Amino acid sequence: MKGKSIFKNIIFWIITAIILIIVLGPLLWIYLTAFKSADDIMTGQFIKQVVFAPTLDNFRRLFTAFPFFSSLLNTLITSIGSTILVMIVSLPAAYSFARWNTGGGHLLFTTISTRMFPGVVAALPFFILFQKIGLLDKHIGLILLFMYFNVSFATFLLYGFFRDVPVELEQAALIDGYGRFDIFRRIVLPLVLPGITTTAVFCLIWSWNEFLFAFLFTRNVARPLTVLISSFWGSIEVQYGPMAAGAAIGVLPTLIAAWFMQRYIIRGLTFGAVKG
Amino acid sequence: MEKGRGNKKEEIDDMVGVKNNDATLSVYSLGRKPSAWETLSSEKYFKWVLLIPLILVLLIFMLYPLIYCIYNSFREGGLQGTIFVALKNYQVMLRDKSFWVPFRRTIEVTAICIICELLIGMGIAMLWNRDFKGQNLIRGLVLLPLLVAPLILSLVWNFLLEYNIGFINQLLNVMHIGRVKWWDSRIALYTICGITIWQWFPFSTSVLLAGLKSLPRDVFEAARVDGSSSWFTFRKLTLPMLSPLIVIITLLRTMWLIRLFDPLYGTTRGAVNTELLDWMVYRTAFVYFDVGYASTLAIMCLFITIILGALIFRQLIRALNAANK
Repeated sequence: MKGKSIFKNIIFWIITAIILIIVLGPLLWIYLTAFKSADDIMTGQFIKQVVFAPTLDNFRRLFTAFPFFSSLLNTLITSIGSTILVMIVSLPAAYSFARWNTGGGHLLFTTISTRMFPGVVAALPFFILFQKIGLLDKHIGLILLFMYFNVSFATFLLYGFFRDVPVELEQAALIDGYGRFDIFRRIVLPLVLPGITTTAVFCLIWSWNEFLFAFLFTRNVARPLTVLISSFWGSIEVQYGPMAAGAAIGVLPTLIAAWFMQRYIIRGLTFGAVKG
Repeated sequence: MEKGRGNKKEEIDDMVGVKNNDATLSVYSLGRKPSAWETLSSEKYFKWVLLIPLILVLLIFMLYPLIYCIYNSFREGGLQGTIFVALKNYQVMLRDKSFWVPFRRTIEVTAICIICELLIGMGIAMLWNRDFKGQNLIRGLVLLPLLVAPLILSLVWNFLLEYNIGFINQLLNVMHIGRVKWWDSRIALYTICGITIWQWFPFSTSVLLAGLKSLPRDVFEAARVDGSSSWFTFRKLTLPMLSPLIVIITLLRTMWLIRLFDPLYGTTRGAVNTELLDWMVYRTAFVYFDVGYASTLAIMCLFITIILGALIFRQLIRALNAANK
């Protein structure tokens, strides 16, 4: 009996180890490749794929030969800018939906359906509009687009968080003579601060990762990181080294966020329906 | 009339949970006309004032593309200008193989990915549904790929699966299995499915594991005492109890999968029989700049997603209500 349970245990850990290797291997590979010399990347010798002399050449090339820092800055500006805009729009709206069910659910449905709205559907009309009013390849254009596709997600996620605030608390404040706006600002907002942080981090990550709009609406000036990294995969030559180095840096914030938000990832990805 | 109003007001008060409306009273007892700010933050208007920014965003960012696409779907031409052609675009679309093939492919990819993710997710969730050393660490590590940009991951996989220098093929070669042409036109689509499944099975795993952990233990205890087999318990107890979660996973993943674009850009760029719905719209709109036809395709995509969206919305609200009970 005992021998059987030890055997079962060993099987359990072998399977768990395989799962972890499969999940983490490709992520680790980004970092291994980033520190390899060009020869080691292109080698056909299997052993050299894993054992190699680390070098910083890829990072040096990435920083000097490509506009890496300006791309990183573009990504930062657009992500942070759009997240702030999203919060200005979504916070009051979500509160209104959660407390008064404003619009009887129809408006909330309309909001969430913007998330289903195919990106490519919206892309063409906005491309032509932006071309006319000169927003192509501008930060503000990208910020507006990122806000557009994050607003529905943020509103719905916040809606779930606001619903957790007990209505009795607001009644008590009303009786104490607080106005509606003060209740919202001084009582409700501090209570949902963890929810706001979660939502904001998610919005930052979606904008950070966004590719379709970024790729279509930027050329040189406002080109963010994802588009720069994708450009290393040219049709003639593939710049594996700088690509891996760029990916290593570009992926890092999302990995850190995933690690520290463990508790909220599932709640966020399911729009609040599953509280992980 | 007057009575109806009163009812309405009471209704609102009930919703807010206020029997005696102090806030409005205090404003009017000032003995002067309320200021604009006081009116806007009064019980009656405040909820709508809060929605102004959202409604503006919806009007601009939803209505504009919608009207643009509907208008142009009845027209023909490119960026220089379009002319009215009535239903011609729709007629062309219904017979257009370059639309229906990606359409079928998208459904195929969606189905394959969701089924595999659910099976793998369920298997691992069952495996990890017990207390073991480092369980929190391992569960956290598995979540890591979820938030990474799909585009970057697809580039990395493209590199890993490269025929000569890719690590996977070298590994297979060393193991004497032989290299695989992952981007061959027969299997490239499934390779893309594999990449997507790899990134997203942790999602199913974590949701289902959370579900398993919350199941009542005594029921399973009773089933065990009654001597029912583990397969029977799984089929008759676990699966029905997890079915709301499975529905949510399926709907949410469908929503993301029919939008699959980034992994295509990072790997095949729509070549070798991998063109999906969104890629096809992208190509029509931004490579050919065929405004009329692209708008028609866009309307079609929208039509499909709205039906799906209504389904998802109902499930999400139901789940939220259940979670709050």
